[in-house]
Amino acid sequence: MNRRTVLTALLAGASAPLLASCSSGITSLKGDGAGGDSGNSSGGLTIGTANFTENQILGYLYAGVLNAAGVKTTVKPNLGSREIVVPALRSGDIDLLPEYQGSLLLYLDKKATETEAGAMQNALATVVPDGLEVLPYAAAEDRDSFAVTQETADRYGLKTLADLRKVNGKLVFGAAAEMKKRVVGVVGLKDQYGVEFKEFKALDSSGPLVKGALKKGDIDVANVFTTDVDIVENGWVLLADPKNLIPAQHIVPLIASRKADSKVRKALARLGNTLTTPQLTELNRLVDKEKRDPDRVADAWLKKHKLG
Amino acid sequence: MLELLKNLASWLTSPAQWSGPEGIATRVLEHLEYSVLATLAAAVIALPIGLLIGHTGRGAFLAVNLSSFGRALPTVGLVTLVFLAGGLSVWPVYVSLVALAVPVIITNTYAGMAAVDPEVKDAAKGVGLRGRQILWQVELPLALPLIMTGVRLATVQVVATATIAAYVSFGGLGRYVFDGLAQRDLVQVLGGAALVAVLAVAADLALGGLTRLLFRGRPAAAR
Amino acid sequence: MTIEWGWFPDHADEMTRLTADHLATAVPAVLLGLLIALPLAVLAHRVRPLRGFVLGASNILYTIPSLAFFVLLLPITGLTRTTAIVGLTAYTLVVLVRNTVEGLDAVPVKAREASKAMGTKPLRTLLTVELPLALPVIMAGVRVATVMSISLVSVASYIGYGGLGQLFTDGFQRNYPTPVIAGVILTLLLALVADALLVTVQWLCTPWRRGTSRQRTSKLWKRA
Repeated sequence: MNRRTVLTALLAGASAPLLASCSSGITSLKGDGAGGDSGNSSGGLTIGTANFTENQILGYLYAGVLNAAGVKTTVKPNLGSREIVVPALRSGDIDLLPEYQGSLLLYLDKKATETEAGAMQNALATVVPDGLEVLPYAAAEDRDSFAVTQETADRYGLKTLADLRKVNGKLVFGAAAEMKKRVVGVVGLKDQYGVEFKEFKALDSSGPLVKGALKKGDIDVANVFTTDVDIVENGWVLLADPKNLIPAQHIVPLIASRKADSKVRKALARLGNTLTTPQLTELNRLVDKEKRDPDRVADAWLKKHKLG
Repeated sequence: MLELLKNLASWLTSPAQWSGPEGIATRVLEHLEYSVLATLAAAVIALPIGLLIGHTGRGAFLAVNLSSFGRALPTVGLVTLVFLAGGLSVWPVYVSLVALAVPVIITNTYAGMAAVDPEVKDAAKGVGLRGRQILWQVELPLALPLIMTGVRLATVQVVATATIAAYVSFGGLGRYVFDGLAQRDLVQVLGGAALVAVLAVAADLALGGLTRLLFRGRPAAAR
Repeated sequence: MTIEWGWFPDHADEMTRLTADHLATAVPAVLLGLLIALPLAVLAHRVRPLRGFVLGASNILYTIPSLAFFVLLLPITGLTRTTAIVGLTAYTLVVLVRNTVEGLDAVPVKAREASKAMGTKPLRTLLTVELPLALPVIMAGVRVATVMSISLVSVASYIGYGGLGQLFTDGFQRNYPTPVIAGVILTLLLALVADALLVTVQWLCTPWRRGTSRQRTSKLWKRA
């Protein structure tokens, strides 16, 4: 572990108790952007995004706020799942990724048990591969969730993930293919809740396949993102998670250390402090429902909040 | 690389991998289902059109250039479009596979018909055969080798492309390729790809064998 | 399914960028394919025992799903445009190799013998006599390979390098047909224009065949 990582860990560690005690404006307490400054962004940054629309919006938000800070950026949208984009970041094909705390942590360390935001930030700092860094997390959060239709919930009396055990072997679970092997997915549901499905159907990340299949009844349980406006529109029931299988999922920038200079850190921290979960949900709505372009939606939001 | 091949060998030979609803056996059958149905549907659509154009000589320009158009049509786009139009169903898979196969079969059928020596047709007319009789008894048999080539080409393309079914949530060997991509499981991807290639080559050989069987006893030049 | 025509003028920039992006993948793939196919084909043409192997190998490459190619290249060439280019190159080989071999096969023995009789070295004969005479068939292959590559670039959208294919993913994720239709139309147009361009190039390169060339090329084109 190099010095910078230690420093980040310490910073994050020091702020964790504070974070835990506040419920609003938490991110302004940390992430002053004063982290290490050995990186250099003068050559510009390539921002990659995973294959779902929210991640693209975030990619363009990163790009916009960095451009305003005088850093040149290129956005590569829709590169694939985390399993594809994180290795691309390690090998230098891209420099910056909008990530989600919990999923990223479990990807880097399958045995991680932290579920609270501050603790996870500490854990991330220790497991992040050499050459990469996790910057302070944003106020906005987008959790994984497991949704059923109201009808299914009523029929089987489903309120929490634990209730799924009562109908073991009866329900079909639909999610992106990678969820079959992820802890926040088939693996964790079995280990922590003893849930077993009749079938796992590989679909997409809270996209048209998973939502279409849930609507149509092809699947009974769907993995959707909490910032997805379709949940409310369709009256889907999100199953509660009493055992905290699903970790906090604040948005965090995962960045190549060699590019992370103070300009970049400050700009991303400003964005993180401003963007809230309801705002992110609204941005998703504009893109998914109103069919506005992710880059334009991002730019308009940045202008409105004097960040772009 | 060696490691990958070793893992591939154990992936392909593990009995657990072959059984069950997600096993190789099921996936191969699903893949065959999509491919065979799509190719048959394409043949039913394309053969009459190709024969008609070849027999009448009308629309030759279309027949010649259709395969080029078919090649240019992006399958991913077509699948997406049909999916958006009709929702989650197996239709996008069949529409795009049929769209892939039809032009190839039409173009080759036409080419086979066009290659029939005009003198042979004249001779047939001379002995009193009518238009339809000439088509069935003279032109079609002579054109059949090229027609079969078209069907073979189409089949290979359809088998290789039927992986797309997995993109819109269905099965087949594409499942291994798409899931392997999402999980960055190269062994799974390689296994899926190898199975598709084997299936495509096997289908090609089978149709080649069928063609030879059909033309047994014909002079070599006609094969 | 409704098409929002207003989307088109509103996204001219994006369409231009993606088209350029599309070509930046498809064109190098065909060029690289030619670079590999020509020597392979000459080899297959000259050394009879290798012929079956070379043609068979390029045929098998063609049966592998293109997406699998891209994925398998990831550890080697990374999440870059190179991956998309190399993957597509493999697909162009089947047509390019076969057509070049067929083109060389079709060179009249007399032409080859005459060149030899004049004391021309084999390499020179290849470059100045055989390849030019084989050019129409090779070009027919290049046309097919180009159209195929342009259409297949969109498969690379699964790894983010799909050019116009990015519009397919975008439309898919948002349940939005308009960009998908735009992508399909632009891909078809691009293929059409590229093909027309190649026909022109061929016409310019083979002045000795003008006049009769149309019928003959169309026959060769069919065969490809």
